[in-house]
Amino acid sequence: MTAVSALLPTILLTAGVLAVLFADAVGKGRRPLVLPWISGAALVGAAAVALVWLVDGRGGDQVLLGALRMDAFAAVMTLFCAVAGLVSILATLVGDGNRRPGGEFHALVLSSVIGMSVLAASVDMVTLYLAFELISITGYVLVGMRRGDRLANEASLKYVLFGAVSSGLMIYGLSLLFGLSGGTSLESVRVAVAQGAGAQPVFGAAVLLVFAGFAFKISAVPFHFWAPDVYQGAPTAVAGFLSVASKAAGFAGLIRVVDVLGATSSTAAGVGTVLPWFDGSPAALVATMLGVCAVLTMTVGNLGACRQNDLKRLLAYSSIAQAGYMLMAVTMWTPTALAALVFYLVTYLFMNLAAFLLAGIVIRATGTSSLDGLRGLGYRNPWLAATFTVVMLSLTGIPPMLGFLGKLVLFESVLRQGYLWFAVIGLLNGAVSLYYYAKPLLRMYLDGPAADAPTVRVSPAAAVLAGVLVLPVVAFFLAWSPLATWTKGVLPTLRIGS
Amino acid sequence: MGSNLLSLTFLLPLAGSVLVLLVPRESAGRACRWVNLIATFATFVATLAVWSGWNAARATLLPGQYALTEDALWIPAFGIRYHLGVDGVSVALLLLTSFVSIGASMASWKIEKSPKGYHSMFLLLLAGMVGVFMSLDLFLFYLFWEIMLLPMYFLIGIWGGPRRQYASIKFFLYTLAGSVLMLAGIVLIWIHHRTFQIPEIVQIAQSAGLFEGKVDGAATYRLLCFIGFFVAFAIKVPLFPFHTWLPDAHVEAPTPISMILAGVLLKMGGYGLIRMAYPFFPSAAVTLEYWIVGLSLASIVYGAFVAMAQTDFKKMVAYSSVSHMGFVTLGIASLTPEGSNGAMYMMLAHGTISSMLFMLVGVIYERAHHRDIDRFGGLAWSMPRYGVLSAFAIFASLGLPGLSGFIAEITVFLGSFDRFPRLTLVATLGMVVTAAYYLITLQKVYLGETPAVYQDKAHYPDTSTRELLILIPLAVVTLYMGILPGHAMEIYRADLEGIIKGVKDVGDAIAKVK
Repeated sequence: MTAVSALLPTILLTAGVLAVLFADAVGKGRRPLVLPWISGAALVGAAAVALVWLVDGRGGDQVLLGALRMDAFAAVMTLFCAVAGLVSILATLVGDGNRRPGGEFHALVLSSVIGMSVLAASVDMVTLYLAFELISITGYVLVGMRRGDRLANEASLKYVLFGAVSSGLMIYGLSLLFGLSGGTSLESVRVAVAQGAGAQPVFGAAVLLVFAGFAFKISAVPFHFWAPDVYQGAPTAVAGFLSVASKAAGFAGLIRVVDVLGATSSTAAGVGTVLPWFDGSPAALVATMLGVCAVLTMTVGNLGACRQNDLKRLLAYSSIAQAGYMLMAVTMWTPTALAALVFYLVTYLFMNLAAFLLAGIVIRATGTSSLDGLRGLGYRNPWLAATFTVVMLSLTGIPPMLGFLGKLVLFESVLRQGYLWFAVIGLLNGAVSLYYYAKPLLRMYLDGPAADAPTVRVSPAAAVLAGVLVLPVVAFFLAWSPLATWTKGVLPTLRIGS
Repeated sequence: MGSNLLSLTFLLPLAGSVLVLLVPRESAGRACRWVNLIATFATFVATLAVWSGWNAARATLLPGQYALTEDALWIPAFGIRYHLGVDGVSVALLLLTSFVSIGASMASWKIEKSPKGYHSMFLLLLAGMVGVFMSLDLFLFYLFWEIMLLPMYFLIGIWGGPRRQYASIKFFLYTLAGSVLMLAGIVLIWIHHRTFQIPEIVQIAQSAGLFEGKVDGAATYRLLCFIGFFVAFAIKVPLFPFHTWLPDAHVEAPTPISMILAGVLLKMGGYGLIRMAYPFFPSAAVTLEYWIVGLSLASIVYGAFVAMAQTDFKKMVAYSSVSHMGFVTLGIASLTPEGSNGAMYMMLAHGTISSMLFMLVGVIYERAHHRDIDRFGGLAWSMPRYGVLSAFAIFASLGLPGLSGFIAEITVFLGSFDRFPRLTLVATLGMVVTAAYYLITLQKVYLGETPAVYQDKAHYPDTSTRELLILIPLAVVTLYMGILPGHAMEIYRADLEGIIKGVKDVGDAIAKVK
């Protein structure tokens, strides 16, 4: 594969960025209607290329002097983030009612997707860090897009501060790894670890520091504090984008790094097997860190969410908790577990983007993001309320929703490794999460119709988008064989390592 | 035989549930309840057909085989099958489910608030309930099990009493917490044995034992999985100390939903123990036998004492359920033919008697708008029909010979006395207390002088024809089951004894090794 064909998604997206900026400039501030079409075309193009790679089973080629590896994993994540970007743009247009976002909005989303696509493919620490920063910086601006909004400004500032600190920690960790291995490529780190670099005390520090960066990106405890404020202040569709695409990209980068850090010389798929017996090996160190972080993240996220009375903050804590479940799969580090993670991400994409889209619709109609805005929605707009109910139940993991399958596959991969206690903690966390996912239901149905509540109208376009997102959440259950076969068959063959 | 009878049995209420949603809004109230009643009645007819179909087939079935099976591959990647089938135990509970539901459907006649939503949820609940009793695939079973939770949550949460929000979420959380533990067990079985099929799993369990040769420490795995399944079902039964959701749910739920809750939902716990927890992990069940007996006795005695302390009529009946359902687990734990037959009989008897009691509480609540036992008096004189039926239900529940409750208790005692002679004596204490609180209630509410307020015929009319239509069939069944217990027992006896014998054989084998 030549560098050009390998970079095709990035090239398409970059062309999109330039095109929207140009069109916006030519349009002289009239914000031409063509902008969404351009960015949409760029995202669809990138997604299509990634899909073709995936179907072809192309993989493993390293391009740009070994900086990127265009394997199936990179293709899956590119497809994922492009779809999430597309949905978020559509959600901004129809859900948040921001019909004419400026060219800069489109350019930022596209740039962010570029960063995600590159991050998922990077096997070089410099590229990895650059991609990571590209996602972060575009994120800071996207959060603060509504310049006049005090909450948005606060959110953006918090995001910048947290982001700056954690990426500072991360680059410090990466530089330590560079010192240990003498090279910037992840492959050289793998070699160094295999040769015993992992026994040095500084290795532990490097692992923790690098993880700090990713923990920020995936909003894992203890780097999760930004999430509730940022999600609350950001435009709802942007919050959805951060919670899905940005998080998935964080996981992609984390997986690339854990792949080389946790490797011992003999077994590449062994992180999970050493979990409870901390023997000081690099694999055990990484696994313990991930496992502890997974438990903390899901527990803190779930318990935190129980106390929220703001829809967006509730969804923020929920997405912290979801990151905890996903970290379980990374901790296991078996091909099955990683396949389960990707499957989970796919289910999460539909559920969470739908949740934020619907939240945006409700917030715009009622003018408040407080849960009280939902009062009596089940009587005011039964279809919207029913859709929201489906999404909340799916996030809880109640059959027959798609979210149940995601959890089932994920916990199956944990139980398969024999970590009964780990799975039980996760499952009980899932049960606890019902408490807060039922809060909107309670407001919508149990509180009874509100007398003076404003009517909630959903535009046809928003209804179609919500339908497209929610249909799989309900319908996949009847025929999830293809999806299950795909994850079981295709994903375990992903060669993350060499 | 290519019969789709079982599918039809759960599709009927499901179709009714959808049909209700299609009813135009203007005529919703009246049309919905008719759709509900017709769909529920059709389900009842379908379960009767299942009964006769199973009766016709049973002669040719080997022990442990199921009748009217439908089996199709659903999700090949995970070996999940659409597998339905019934044996005597399921047939008996299916009949109970649809029978009690007819009464509950008629009791829903006066639902004014969002009738479309109510009747749709009611029928969805019914579909889930019958599905649970027919599934032979664990995945399918889990699906029906969880699907039931949703309508129940809404039925309590929207149409319930003042504290309905608290009660409904508590019910939902408790049940979900239990069922995720069961899910872990289901997934572990699948990982190591690659099957979700209940008959297959039972076969493995009784030949080699689950997990044997698949993992290190198979016995520990079995023990943990059994606890997972057991807790899930014990919450549903509900067994002390997992019972605290029940009084809240019962008190807040509207009358028809209390009837279903007591009449059918609690039985799913017992069914799960008989169909899954015990046969899957016989060795673990035997290991934990004294724990289970201890919890059962605690339920019986504690439930009875707490019931005695209540002044809320409905809460008293709710705690009496905790007490009576303790007999179910006690009977199963004894692993004797008598004990298990009694447990099953208790489920059927309690199903009819307690739904009758909840209906009776509902009748008076509708008139008086309170349920305070101390404020009533002499209702038997002002409302004679109501008084007679209430006395009948109360005597049935406290175990008067000649009525079904007695048969259930005595057979459980026969079995458990055989196995745990001293411990069983504790349960008799529960019976005495039960008699005490019921008789005190009878005296306070129905006998004595009638306060003037209850003599007002306009506000306190005697039971209406509709109410009689609900109560009398339940009473007739209670009487019939009390006089001719053999008929109902004959439905499930052979299959149940087969299941329990399988469990006991494995247990005995372990005891011998020790």
